[in-house]
Amino acid sequence: MMRKSQRRRMSAIVRYLVLTVWAVIAFFPIYWMISTSFKVDTQWFAWPPVYFPHPLTLSNYLNVWFGAEEYAATQYAISSQKPLISLLNSTIIATASTFLSVLFGSLMAYGVSRYRILSEARMFQLLMLRMIPPIVVVAPLSLYYSALGLLDSMTGLILIYFLTTLPYAVWMTKSFIDEVPREIEQAAEILGATRWRTIFEIVLPLIRSGLVATFLFILILTWSEYLLALIITKTQVTTLPIELSKYQGTTEGRVYGRQAALSVGITIPLIIVGLMIRKHLARGFSFGMVRR
Amino acid sequence: MACIELVDLSKAFGTVVAVKNLSLAIEDGEFVVLVGPSGCGKTTTLRMIAGFEDPTAGEVRIDGRVVNDLEPRDRGLGMVFQTHALFPHKTVKQNIEFGLRMKRIPAPERAQRVRQVADLVGISHLLDKMPNQCSGGESQRVALARTLVTNPSTFLLDEPLSNLDAKLRRELRAECDRLHQTLKRTFIYVTHDQEEAMTLADRIVVMRSGEIVQIGSPMEIYSNPVNYFVADFFGSPSMNLIAGEIVHENDAVRFRSPCFELALPEHFKTATSGATTLGIRPEHVRVSLGGNGEIELPVRLVEPLGRDTLLYFDAGVARAFIAISAGLDMAEVKIGARMALSLDRRRLCLFAADGGRIGGPRRAGTA
Repeated sequence: MMRKSQRRRMSAIVRYLVLTVWAVIAFFPIYWMISTSFKVDTQWFAWPPVYFPHPLTLSNYLNVWFGAEEYAATQYAISSQKPLISLLNSTIIATASTFLSVLFGSLMAYGVSRYRILSEARMFQLLMLRMIPPIVVVAPLSLYYSALGLLDSMTGLILIYFLTTLPYAVWMTKSFIDEVPREIEQAAEILGATRWRTIFEIVLPLIRSGLVATFLFILILTWSEYLLALIITKTQVTTLPIELSKYQGTTEGRVYGRQAALSVGITIPLIIVGLMIRKHLARGFSFGMVRR
Repeated sequence: MACIELVDLSKAFGTVVAVKNLSLAIEDGEFVVLVGPSGCGKTTTLRMIAGFEDPTAGEVRIDGRVVNDLEPRDRGLGMVFQTHALFPHKTVKQNIEFGLRMKRIPAPERAQRVRQVADLVGISHLLDKMPNQCSGGESQRVALARTLVTNPSTFLLDEPLSNLDAKLRRELRAECDRLHQTLKRTFIYVTHDQEEAMTLADRIVVMRSGEIVQIGSPMEIYSNPVNYFVADFFGSPSMNLIAGEIVHENDAVRFRSPCFELALPEHFKTATSGATTLGIRPEHVRVSLGGNGEIELPVRLVEPLGRDTLLYFDAGVARAFIAISAGLDMAEVKIGARMALSLDRRRLCLFAADGGRIGGPRRAGTA
C-alpha cells in the first residue's frame, strides 16, 4: 500500500507528465515554424530532420519580406516585395473591419440589452447567420460585388468582414453591457447627459475590457480569414493568408523556409497585440468583470 | 424650488399593478417620506417622478406643468440611488463635476462649485480617489455631492442609506436633515425603514400594494394610525396587537381575549360586537410591582436596555405583549412572575376584522 503523501506525489508526477506531453504537442509546430524559417534550403526536407538549424540564416526572411535575391540560396523567389504590401493590406482590412464590427456591434448590443430591439429568438437567428458555410454565399456575393465594383478592393473585404463578424460582436458585447447597472446610466441621465453621451462616456468605458476581448477575438478571425479573401480579391488586394498559399505552388514545390518566414510574420502582430492588451483580456474573458 | 403634484398616477408592469390611482401634492420645501414594505410601489412612484418610468395613467406635475413627456434630464430634479451609482471609472472629483459638464459650465466655475459642495458634505479629502477606494458612507456622501452640485429644485432619494451599517445610517440621516434645513429644497425620500421616516419627514406617506394608506406628520401617523397595517408598521418595539372580540354587557362595552378582559372607554360604545384587534403602544402600558392593574400576565422575557427596560409578557399568542418601564427598576423581575398591567385607555386603538380602525383616528393628544 502506498502512503497518502506518496500517492499525492505520484499523482502530481503523472499530471505534470501529461501536461508536458500536451505542451510539446501544442508548441512543437510553432517551434518547427520558427526553426525552419532560419534553415538553409538543404535542411528543409533533410532526413533525419534538423531540429536545431546550423548554420542559422536570415535569407528566408530577407527573400520573402524584402525580395532580396542576393540572399536567396536557391531560385525560389516567387514574389518580390508583395508580402510587405499584403501585411499592410491585412493590417488595414482586419483593423478597420474589426473596429467597425465592435463599434456597431456594441451599439446594437446596447439596443438589445436596454431596449430589447431584438428578442431572444432574433438574437439566436443573428448568431445562426454564422452557421451558414461561407462557401454557400461566396458565389452570389461575388456577383453582387462585381456589379458594385467592390471586387478586388479593400472596401469590399472590409465590408464583408464587418458584416460576417457583427453577430459575434453583438453577442459578446451584450453580455458585458448586461452587467452594467441601469442605475449608473440613470444617474448620468438625470445629471443631464444625453443617451449618446451616456453610451460613449459611461457605458463603453465601463466595459472596455470586454470590448478589448471582443476586438481581439474578431481581429484573429479577420486576420486569418482565407476563403472570402481568396474569391473576392484577385490581384490588387491580397491579404497575408492568401500570400502564404502562394508558397506551395505546383511548379516550385513547397518552399518551406520562405513559408515559415512568412508565417512568423503573420503570427507576430497578433502576439504583440495580445501582449499589449493582456491586462484587459484576463478581465474581459472572465465575464462578470464590471465592478460596482 | 418646486411643488410636485401626482394626479391619479398609475403604473402597471404587464398584469402587475405597481401603483394605483395615486394622488399627492408635495409642497415646496417639504420633506416627504414615502414609506412601506417591499413591493408597495414607493420606488416606482419615485421613478415616475424622476422620469425613468412612464406612468400607465395619470400625470406628474412640477410647478403646475405636466412633465410626463419630459426626459429625466429636463425635469430639474436630482436623484440619489440606493446603490450610490457612482461612475466607477471616474475619480470622485470627476463624478461630482459630471452634471456641471453636461450643463456646459466653464471649468473654473466647475472647480469652485465642486470644492464648495465637497466642503459642505465633508469629502474634500477624497476628491482624487476612485469610487472603489471610498467606504460605503463616503460613497453615499459623494453621491449626495454629485446631486447637490447641480442645484436641483427637488431631491429624490431612493433608500439612500439602506446599504450602510446602523451607526453610519444614523450619521447620514442627520446629514440629510441638516442639508434639507440648509438648502430649503423639496426632498422626496423613499425608505422601508419606519424609523428613518419618523425622524426625517415633515410628512409621511404610508404606502401598501400600490396605494396610499395614510398621509400625515410623523406624530399623527404614530399616534393615530388609520388601520392595523399602519399601527403595526410604525414604532419600535411595535404596537401590541391582541386579537379578541367586542362584547356589549349591560350598557358597558368590553374587550375580551383568551387571556384577559378589559372595559373599553365611552367612545367605543357605538362599536358593533364581534371580532376585533386591540392595539396599544408599549409605552402606554404601565407596569407595577405588586400593584393593581386591569390585567395580569406572566413575564416571558426581560430586556434591560439601560435607559429603559423592555418587559415581554405572555398573552397567549405567539407575539409577546410588550411594556416599557423607565430605568432599571424592573430589570431583576423573574421570568414567569405574574405582573399587574394597566393600559392608558385614551390611547387604546381597536381595529375591525378588515384592518380598519374602529372609532376612527382622533387628533393626537386629545382624550
